[in-house]
Amino acid sequence: MPSRLRYVATRVLQAAGVVAATYLLTYLVLFALPGDPVANRLDNPQNPVPPSQARMIIEYYHLDQPVLTQLLITVGRLLRGDLGYSLGTGRSVGDLVVQGLGSTLLLALAALVVAAVIAATVGVLAVFAPWEPVRRLARLVPALSLATPSFLIGLFLLQIFSYQLGWVSSLETEGPVSIILPALTLGIAVSPSITQVLIQGLTEASGRPFVRVLRSRGLTQGRILGRHVLRNGSIPALTLLALTVADLIAGSVIVESVFNRAGLGYVTEQAVRSQDGPIVLAVVLLVSSLYSLVNLVTDLMYPVIDPRISLTESRLGSSRRPDRPALAEGT
Amino acid sequence: MRGGTLVYLDAEASRSTQPQGAGTWQDSAYLENITDRLIWKDPASGEVQPYIAESWDVSADGTVYTFRIREGVTYSDGTALDVESVRRNLEWQALGDEANGIQPSTQWPELDSVDVEDGAVVVRLLTPYAEFLDVLSGWSASLVADSTIAATLEEQQQITGIIGSGPFVVESEKYGENIHLVRREGYDWAPPSLAHQGEALLDRVEIHAVTDDTTRLGTLRSGQADALRYIQPADERLLAEAEGFQVLAAQGIGATNQWHLRSSIPALQDSRVRRALQVGIDREGLVSGLYTENWAVAQSVVTEDTFGFVDLSDHLAHDPEQAGALLDEAGYVDRDDDGYRVRDGERLSLVTVIDVYDATAKPLYQLVQSQLKELGIELTLRDADYSQVSEAYAAPDVAAVRSGWPYPAPWATLRTLWGADGGDGFLLEGADATLEELLEAQAVATDEEERAALLEELQTHVIENAYSLPLLKDSQIFAASDAVKDFSWSAEARPLFHGTWLDRR
Repeated sequence: MPSRLRYVATRVLQAAGVVAATYLLTYLVLFALPGDPVANRLDNPQNPVPPSQARMIIEYYHLDQPVLTQLLITVGRLLRGDLGYSLGTGRSVGDLVVQGLGSTLLLALAALVVAAVIAATVGVLAVFAPWEPVRRLARLVPALSLATPSFLIGLFLLQIFSYQLGWVSSLETEGPVSIILPALTLGIAVSPSITQVLIQGLTEASGRPFVRVLRSRGLTQGRILGRHVLRNGSIPALTLLALTVADLIAGSVIVESVFNRAGLGYVTEQAVRSQDGPIVLAVVLLVSSLYSLVNLVTDLMYPVIDPRISLTESRLGSSRRPDRPALAEGT
Repeated sequence: MRGGTLVYLDAEASRSTQPQGAGTWQDSAYLENITDRLIWKDPASGEVQPYIAESWDVSADGTVYTFRIREGVTYSDGTALDVESVRRNLEWQALGDEANGIQPSTQWPELDSVDVEDGAVVVRLLTPYAEFLDVLSGWSASLVADSTIAATLEEQQQITGIIGSGPFVVESEKYGENIHLVRREGYDWAPPSLAHQGEALLDRVEIHAVTDDTTRLGTLRSGQADALRYIQPADERLLAEAEGFQVLAAQGIGATNQWHLRSSIPALQDSRVRRALQVGIDREGLVSGLYTENWAVAQSVVTEDTFGFVDLSDHLAHDPEQAGALLDEAGYVDRDDDGYRVRDGERLSLVTVIDVYDATAKPLYQLVQSQLKELGIELTLRDADYSQVSEAYAAPDVAAVRSGWPYPAPWATLRTLWGADGGDGFLLEGADATLEELLEAQAVATDEEERAALLEELQTHVIENAYSLPLLKDSQIFAASDAVKDFSWSAEARPLFHGTWLDRR
């Protein structure tokens, strides 16, 4: 156990290092790039600001200070829990991120469920359906959904269920109902790779020796499938599913734009579009922490799903297949 | 007919409602619906008229303004909008709040003092300022409660931080999604010249920012929204023919859509080249090719309803022969293999940056580019990222940038844009003394006739020298269902919902 604890501690430190490095790199890149919301506001020809006034505003935001000074001010505030204010809109960055995260988490979870259901259904059909044409059709589905742009799916669903049938409002958030269409859109958009990997995993697992052994012991096809093949064959797909969570939370800008949700994707897009430093930095901090966390959790989960994989192995690199033949699992 | 909720879809989300700094279409409109101003500018005539200031006197030398304030006006938090409040507001507009990062209101003249004397507000300026009343009619001069003046910059940048006296009050705001306004009970101080007086007819206005053009139009057409701002010209035609909808165009008073030519570029230092561009662009062709009948060509650097406007259409008429003659005269006689004119081996080539603030810009620029190609002038179009637009515009090789929008005080703003001690938009660095003199003289002229004459001279000077190429009069396009009645605008084409009502029969 102590070695396990040491392992976890090392991984956590590594993750913190990655997050800090990402933050620093982003800060330097933002600084090096020309332009920022304050400059744009001052130079906006729709409401031009005389040069004398402009100077005063630049001083207020410390934008005339050297990069190191500005970095120290920002990090100092960060360590006190102050994420600062948007340069463009003056909103508290913390509030924006929390609002965006709340909206996106909900959507991400719903989309994940949709993606998992699609992947499981299509995957099982593609490998185990008794009829050949059905299996063939199911194998086509991932490619089809990958080829269709998400905004097209979204607009299509909006057109039918909102504009024509009026079942859902495209503007108001009416509780659980409003999440269905965007979740469907997003779920369909992220399902292809999970489905493909699952199909591959199931095909491989169903061809393994232990299946024949189980059948010779009299287990029904259903039991073999549900209890053993699915569990063995879904490890890669589960890894992908976990990574997809991070992807979904980082925000799907297009789906949020089509369905008018000001989630994390929207907040990020607005910030990047106008180079609004404080918000971009907060999002980078959040997303890099998230990815690191997800990676760590996934690695720690492997031994739980598959006891053959030990932590040592996963430290050396990914779920290698053990080279001695697997014993039948009659548990 | 009183009552109902108007669901309004804006093309952009609110960015900053801090009055002195606000300039975007959406924020200035929201401000004007929840606040009032001293002066009302009539959208039809451009005249300045009473509003919160019932009447006023201007001293003979034009430096002292005495305003008598309407009685009984209150802010939505209950505090009084009285002479003292007006005084505090005017000081705040004139001086800003440096410690809080709040700039003075742009285009405000230099203030000597603001006092309350005999129940009136007396403003003393250091020099006469012809457009002072116009400045006071703009959204940056909106009157706000003390709590707003005291609030931080960040609080004021959000609409929930603005406490005004206007016909609507902010009920709630959700960032990036919606703003809910409700009727201000007891509102009774609309500009006297307006047809509708008293409280707003609508119970509520729900404003949603729907940035995607397709979704915005689709939502209107499905009946889930009542009105929206901006649809593309192609959709304009379709919607006008559709049953149950109306397309409304608003043209604000102010500067026309024009390109500023920069004299820092060697080729443009020759006025013949600039004048060739002036007459070489086929403005009618731009409108008929890209827009609908809601758009028109510009007749000067300002719109017709701006004070001092003079019709200079004959200077702007399309004349390719004259353009060619001017270019020949300037030495660009020969053409290279690609068909562009050359002088001493150098191609006549200009760079411009496609305007990021105008959604219809790209096709417009491409059409101008092809028109100029026929004349033998190469126009290179550069795309700018919204986040780097000020850098892109400031690049030293850029020859022309787009300018010109509706402004509350058009000539004051143009002076900031063109003047050598302002933005120096033509990059003359003060070389044209006549221009500088005219800009200054018109700003302080106290006699209307004298000022009109100066403005005529100024416009003629700018257009004859082709410092600026006026192209179009921009229209703000709105669309609404037929149930929306009396949809109206301020003088700068910002929608005002005070008199709007819904006919849901």
